[in-house]
Amino acid sequence: MSESIVRYSSRSRARAIKSFLSNLLGHAGAQLGLLCLVFFLVLSAVPNILVGPLETVATATGDFLVPPSSQHLLGTDEVGRDVLNLVVHGARISLTIALLATVISLVVGTTVGITAGYYGGRVDVWLMRLTDFFFVMPSFVLALVITPVVLEVMGRGREILGFRPSLFVILVVIGITSWAFVARIVRSQTLSLKERTFIDRARVVGSSNLSIMVRHILPNLVPQIAANGALVVAGAIYVETSLSFLGLGDPLQPSWGTLLSLAQRAGAASTGAWWYLGAPGLCALAVSLSFVLVGNALDDTFNPRQRVIP
Amino acid sequence: MTNLSQDKASLLEVDGLSVEYRLKGVSLRAIDRVSFALQAGEAVGLVGESGSGKTTTAMAIAGLLSPNARVSGGQVRYRGNLLPIDNDAAMRPHRWTETSVVFQGAMNALNPVHRIIKQIAEPCILKLGMSRAEATARARELLELVGIPTDRGTAYPHELSGGMRQRVMIAMALACRPSIIIGDEPTTALDVITQAQILKLLGKLRSQLNLALILITHDLSVVAESCDRVMIMYAGRIVEDGTVAEIFAKPKHPYTRLLIESIPNPASGIRIIRPIPGDPPNLMNRPSGCAFHPRCPSATGVCTTEVPSLEKFGWGRVACHLHRSSQEGRVAVHA
Amino acid sequence: MAGNAQEGRTSRIGNVLIRAAITLSMVATLNFVLFRVIPGDPAALLLGGARMSVSAERIEAQRQNWGLDRPLFPDQILDYLSATLHGDLGYSFKFRGRLVSDLIWERLPATIALVGLAQLIAMLCGVMLGLYAGWRRGGAVDRIAMGASLALYSTPSFWLAMVLVVIFSTALGWFPGYGIYSPGASIGSTDKILDYLRHLALPVAAVALGLIGQYVVVARAAMSDVVTEDYMVTARAKGLTNGQMLMRHAFRNAMLPLVTLITLNLGYVVAGAITVEAVFAWPGIGGLTVEALNARDYPVLQGIFLLLGVSIVAANLLADLAYGILDPRIRQ
Ligand SMILES: Nc1ncnc2c1ncn2[C@@H]1O[C@H](COP(=O)(O)OP(=O)(O)O)[C@@H](O)[C@H]1O
Ligand code: SF4
Ligand SMILES: [Mg+2]
Repeated sequence: MSESIVRYSSRSRARAIKSFLSNLLGHAGAQLGLLCLVFFLVLSAVPNILVGPLETVATATGDFLVPPSSQHLLGTDEVGRDVLNLVVHGARISLTIALLATVISLVVGTTVGITAGYYGGRVDVWLMRLTDFFFVMPSFVLALVITPVVLEVMGRGREILGFRPSLFVILVVIGITSWAFVARIVRSQTLSLKERTFIDRARVVGSSNLSIMVRHILPNLVPQIAANGALVVAGAIYVETSLSFLGLGDPLQPSWGTLLSLAQRAGAASTGAWWYLGAPGLCALAVSLSFVLVGNALDDTFNPRQRVIP
Repeated sequence: MTNLSQDKASLLEVDGLSVEYRLKGVSLRAIDRVSFALQAGEAVGLVGESGSGKTTTAMAIAGLLSPNARVSGGQVRYRGNLLPIDNDAAMRPHRWTETSVVFQGAMNALNPVHRIIKQIAEPCILKLGMSRAEATARARELLELVGIPTDRGTAYPHELSGGMRQRVMIAMALACRPSIIIGDEPTTALDVITQAQILKLLGKLRSQLNLALILITHDLSVVAESCDRVMIMYAGRIVEDGTVAEIFAKPKHPYTRLLIESIPNPASGIRIIRPIPGDPPNLMNRPSGCAFHPRCPSATGVCTTEVPSLEKFGWGRVACHLHRSSQEGRVAVHA
Repeated sequence: MAGNAQEGRTSRIGNVLIRAAITLSMVATLNFVLFRVIPGDPAALLLGGARMSVSAERIEAQRQNWGLDRPLFPDQILDYLSATLHGDLGYSFKFRGRLVSDLIWERLPATIALVGLAQLIAMLCGVMLGLYAGWRRGGAVDRIAMGASLALYSTPSFWLAMVLVVIFSTALGWFPGYGIYSPGASIGSTDKILDYLRHLALPVAAVALGLIGQYVVVARAAMSDVVTEDYMVTARAKGLTNGQMLMRHAFRNAMLPLVTLITLNLGYVVAGAITVEAVFAWPGIGGLTVEALNARDYPVLQGIFLLLGVSIVAANLLADLAYGILDPRIRQ
């Protein structure tokens, strides 16, 4: 990372942010990705206004498995619910799970990474062993065995913070199993930042360790965390969709993965009900791809690489 | 003393060479109308601050400009023939057989996954059509020539010290018996003793093999010991050109003078080069007139408005308004 | 110097082994802990859960056998580890009293066939395409391959599988979209193999396509890093042709990081394979996982977790060793 990020005057920071944004928006991929994300964020912000409340078996209005028509733009499912209605509400659920899981993962990963890098020694060794475990064991595999057990212990009854228990468990489990990648990057950045003079200066002035980590090191890690955060969201969507598809989701708050699971059980693929399985899948694909594109563009902007041969 | 006259056919003639880089839509002129000639067997130093365009000049001559570079003017002649320096494929036969390059040793210029003997032998096989056995024998010879025990040939680059790696680079550069070797900061990042050894080796090989040498460095003292002639670059232009003796004794250009004064004096025990005051020029926003005027202690009004051209002055050349008016008189005297 | 190199090498392998051991013991510990927190009597659970009527004596015997009457630490965990090492993973809940290890063993070949074939195809196509795209970065092949790969990479494999079924099975009828053999297919052995391959086609395509997307992305990134390296300038300065630069200098250096990156993508392979098997009712580990999840068959689930953990650790070990052989900087 260049020295240029380590600046404190608010004006130079504002200028840096401005030039960064113009660089980022120069990427066609980032433009496309951001546009798509804004679209889905709007969908998930006001699903009720756009398509009315989530339809249930009781409130379903259509016939069974009807192809798209002017009445049901994306057709209906096997109990007559409007697929458009389900998909828009699914956006809210899928995005919320993925974003909250990412927040957890970034918080854990950054904390572990900074602590390990800053303190070094035994703290570093043990934290990195822990990180190694989560680095090697895929989030999906861990979630596959942890989620059902935690659900069994907690019971599937009441909601937690507005989530059905299974969704809450899934998002927490994804969050606490997908931070290793972030921790490693943050740690190596912290190690190199620690050698910089401004950290010594802060130490001489008598800042506490915590305040050095939060006020001096953390701000310089933001670029790395942001670029990787976008990739963590994409991963979280993938894992959530896969787990829900295997039946770990909740039919009362159907995410895109849960809808695909319902479609599979209803035999949508073998009966050729392409609209039923197509809509949620394309949405998951679009959102995940958008995050990947934005993440790649962020990475390109922060680490420009110059090709040396034609 | 080296003959600077252009009438005798030179080995290499660079004439008004300009190169621009394009980055994100903006283009930046890295070197501007660079002209000089190089005779067979001559050693020329190319000296300037980092960013002054030394590497760009070297890479342009060798036809190795990066993909975002464009030759925007001028030409390069080798033994009287025009070199297609902006045509990658057309330059290929010329590379390494006529001109080879020794890159900075600290850089990752050797391939980390191949043994050094293989890397030295490679151009012999691919460019000279030698058999593998012949090429290996040649590589052994070259290792010996640069002072590496031949049994170290099976080593990988990371197993060698910086000085040894640089010797490998030199051995590799000699593989196809070129006429010109360009050393781009070949001794930067080496300790003082190793630096002296490498320079001595280059000097020895040069006289032994009648090589022409272009030695690029930001350290004028390196040039003092190993070159006949030196060219000083500033902001992409040559600002002074002359024999080493002349330049050290009587620098004409204020920048050259400051460079010489900034050389640490070993007697005083200070080894750190004192930088010249002021900021290096921003090529995106080049100062008007003489690019050096914001830092020049002798700048006058005309310096901020008029670009001084590089003109013959005595035995060498200089681009500075201070030496302009008197220059006509001198030329007249000589003529 | 040679002594140092030798030492460095031993300590590297030692480190790799320690990491593997720590990971495995954490997998085992997680299994142990999870099993104890499930409500219900562990002894009864081990014998097939509340859904089976088991005599009190048998439960008692199991309790003794597994040391479930003794303290959790260290007795029980040691017993558990020893039982696990002997391949005793308990009994399934769903498949009345069958050994978990037997169930897994039966299902393994189908998964190995599916995943192995998909990996092979994906590595050949994906890595080559990705390396080429990175070499000719910005070219037509790069743009198309990269666009398609990012899309494939972002697509859940099971959804890809469903789409393939809709198109190639339901609409076109070219391939079967379900199971491993056609019911009532002829008995001739060539016919049977052909039938098997036809059933394998769509699942393999679904898993492989997802992986190809993944591998193109990582191989391209690896090659993109190589083409910014100084030794590539040296190769060019030596007058090598583009093909010689690619084959002699870029290829091997680009392969180095791929060894690790491909192993780290195992999670993706596993997620892909398990969900794709679910789509096709493929009778492998993925199918078993879905059945176990639906029936909350914890012993089976944990057995699968153990199997995946061991495979992942083994793959990482192999990658570490392979890397050591490919990269002289580590080998020495
Ligand atoms: N590949 C490139 N793309 C864009 N700008 C470049 C590139 N290479 C060099 N430059 C710019 O060209 C100028 C001259 O660089 P260079 O020739 O490397 O100078 P030197 O070798 O004297 O340090 C510098 O301002 C540098 O930033
Ligand atoms: S031209 Fe003027 S500013 Fe430039 S070096 Fe000469 S005196 Fe200084
Ligand atoms: Mg340079």
